[in-house]
Amino acid sequence: MIMKEKFARWDILFLQYLKRDWKKIIIWVLGIGLFSSGFIPAFKELAKGQGLVGMYETMQNPAMISMVGPTPIDSAADYTLGAMYVHEMLLFCGLITMIVSLLHVVGHTRKEEDLGLTELVRSFQIGRQANSLATMAETVLINVLLAVVISVVMISFNADTITVEGSFLFGASIGAAGVLGAVLGLLFAQIMPNSSGATGVGLGLVGLLYMTRAGTDASNPDWSMINPMGWTYLTYPFTDNNWMPLVFVLIFSLVVIIISFVLEGSRDMGAGYLPEREGRAHAKSSLLSVQGLFARLNRGAIIGWFIGFLVMGAAYGSIYGDMQTFLQSNEVMQQMFTQADVSLEASFTSTIIMVMAVLVSILPIVIINKLFAEENRSQLSQIFSTKVSRTELFWASVGLAIFAGVLGTLLSVAGLGGTALSVMESDSSMGMADFFAAGFNLWPSVLFFTGLSALVIGWVPGAGKLVYVYLAYSFMLNYFGGIVDFPDWFLKTAIQDWLPQMPVESFDLPVFITITAISIVLMVIGYIGYKRRDMAEGA
Amino acid sequence: MTEVVKVEGVQKTFGKAKALSDVTFTVKAGEVVGFIGPNGSGKSTTIRILLGIIKRNAGNAEIFGKDVWKNSLEIHKRISYVPGDVTLWGGLTGGEIIDLFLKLHGGGDKERRDYLIERFELDPKKKAKSYSKGNRQKVGLIAALSVESDLYIFDEPTSGLDPLMESIFQEEVEKLKNAGKSILLSSHILSEVERLADKVVIIRQGEIVETGTLDELRYLTRSTVKMETNGDITAMAEVAGVFDFEQDGNKATFSAEQEHLNEILLAAGKLDVIKFDSSPPTLEDLFMRHYEG
Ligand SMILES: Nc1ncnc2c1ncn2[C@@H]1O[C@H](COP(=O)(O)OP(=O)(O)OP(=O)(O)O)[C@@H](O)[C@H]1O
Ligand SMILES: [Mg+2]
Repeated sequence: MIMKEKFARWDILFLQYLKRDWKKIIIWVLGIGLFSSGFIPAFKELAKGQGLVGMYETMQNPAMISMVGPTPIDSAADYTLGAMYVHEMLLFCGLITMIVSLLHVVGHTRKEEDLGLTELVRSFQIGRQANSLATMAETVLINVLLAVVISVVMISFNADTITVEGSFLFGASIGAAGVLGAVLGLLFAQIMPNSSGATGVGLGLVGLLYMTRAGTDASNPDWSMINPMGWTYLTYPFTDNNWMPLVFVLIFSLVVIIISFVLEGSRDMGAGYLPEREGRAHAKSSLLSVQGLFARLNRGAIIGWFIGFLVMGAAYGSIYGDMQTFLQSNEVMQQMFTQADVSLEASFTSTIIMVMAVLVSILPIVIINKLFAEENRSQLSQIFSTKVSRTELFWASVGLAIFAGVLGTLLSVAGLGGTALSVMESDSSMGMADFFAAGFNLWPSVLFFTGLSALVIGWVPGAGKLVYVYLAYSFMLNYFGGIVDFPDWFLKTAIQDWLPQMPVESFDLPVFITITAISIVLMVIGYIGYKRRDMAEGA
Repeated sequence: MTEVVKVEGVQKTFGKAKALSDVTFTVKAGEVVGFIGPNGSGKSTTIRILLGIIKRNAGNAEIFGKDVWKNSLEIHKRISYVPGDVTLWGGLTGGEIIDLFLKLHGGGDKERRDYLIERFELDPKKKAKSYSKGNRQKVGLIAALSVESDLYIFDEPTSGLDPLMESIFQEEVEKLKNAGKSILLSSHILSEVERLADKVVIIRQGEIVETGTLDELRYLTRSTVKMETNGDITAMAEVAGVFDFEQDGNKATFSAEQEHLNEILLAAGKLDVIKFDSSPPTLEDLFMRHYEG
């Protein structure tokens, strides 16, 4: 009886949400669905000739395994198209799905609660927890749809070794990753005191799970089985076809959902389980300026990301030791690297640094978009009517973003280089200076994203999120550029690709200066727009 | 008297929608001007233009004789503003936010701040996200009232305040008024405007429809008369300046135009009056007339 009351009319909300979100659902299901399944023809090309063998050898590298996960195959001859496809795609696609689902659930539960929408909904004849149930049902349904779309598209390619069972397992694994993200989102929506806390800790945990599995995958994949993220890719479709991990996902999700509902049932609306502290009656002098205010407002995000950068660098750095051992035991690879006259460390470093530069670019975008979020919520109107100018607001924000980009680069490279040098036993060809050179070589690309955000906020402030889309796009291009052969002009649509890949290639000062200059010009143009436009307020 | 705020033929469109079509009024030095009008009539939009938050499409707007868009910084040094819906950073405490505003405005008075925090009974140690609507509003008010300014702009400043706090606000504004400050006060609380304002500006659908002192506006509006006579009261219905005549035996109620007051009194005098009761138009009558258009 009480159960029924708590969830009363959740079905009405559920239908309402499907209606409200249908566009988002279509983009989500088709976007991730086609991305996860659509590369089969490209991989078929890749597998031709000695492709599979070469790829197998490359992917045995612990550095690669730490990024994309392991394969159950232990001889190059058994490395089929299906095995390769799963090896390179499954973990990554599952990760994206997990994050999107987590954001969706927090956005429609805790965030709406913070905005006061839930209060309104609850005043109708709707159960206290109907909203959470409806959102979960919606998210699960979306992930089921996604799994079906992926499976069907894969089967339709009718490719060798892409079996029907394997295709369904592949789709289901990605769907399961989405469900995991959703339940984690729901859990943190109950525990944390507000939605940004829930998003931050949720994403942080996802990152942590990814990092730990990088370590266990490289040493012993069995250990990854105690990691919930492991269950999403240790199913090994097309090879072992192991459905067992998905059963774990199911049980785990049910337990977390029940815990979340119990937690939600016994907390007040708008409150969390982690208490809020009493604050100060008067401001510290460090807060009393526009810069101080922005630093304070972004403090949580900046510290969180900084720790993330450091941990990420250290996690990747820890692989360097395994990598050396691996190289000594593998003749084919040894030959490959000696022929190309680059060390394995150098080649790996150039790839990892690129990945890190992309991740470091997120923080400046977050900081600049925050300026518009503040403006949009009218939080700046009373400040704006003091002698603070738009010039100050804009450059304080951009300055903070630039600072975050520099320090972020520094921290991630320090984490990477420091750990790498300490775990490598035999002498390395690289020193700390090489790591810093490689890291700051890509810094103009971080600055470019800062400039792009500044431009957007000055002229089309509503479109701030699009910068993330371009960042994700350039990340994918770089990530897959190494695997699939894209034409050069296409690769060049990603900003990072203009810069040389240090330490494999050598530093290019003109390009460095040009991209830095372009970024600064973007900021100045953005500033001109910001000075002239109406503040988005009361709209 | 010098004009502190001068707005002339200001227009503003959002996309295709015209929010302001012709806004003209002034606030003179030491004057308290009530700015009133129905929801969506353009009060906040006008105020945002005055603050340089948005840009007008046409017309002139000056504060202290300076253009509100081009010279906003110089202007802002000498004004204080409180929006109707004070939004605050959830993670900062009320005390921190007030200190920040004082600092950014410059010239804040710490003693005055502490006095106001006590008067408005605000707990400055609480995080802003746990403040109620009224308490958020208090933060904005304390910040604006603690600094020394020449012009105060209030956009529905008391929304969400309880009646006690509302009257404390009014007392504080009266002090400002007595100290010769200029004030532009937009409000839906008519008693507040009636108590504080020297002059009223009424806006409707983006256009100023009436400006004047309360007395002047009252003159334009009809008083309500209730009378009882021994003579035949029906005769009153024909007198010039009598409207909405309603009769109940030898009693009648009607509205009387101020210009024709003399004729009405003369006519009434002939009817052997038992009771004559004239109430001046309340501010509410005045607004109703304009709001309903
Ligand atoms: N940024 C904006 N974009 C589009 N339309 C706007 C914007 N700001 C205001 N408007 C429109 O302009 C008109 C005037 O709005 P305004 O907020 O000035 O009214 P108001 O008199 O302050 O009303 P209220 O008494 O409800 O506060 C409204 O029709 C509103 O919808
Ligand atoms: Mg308004």
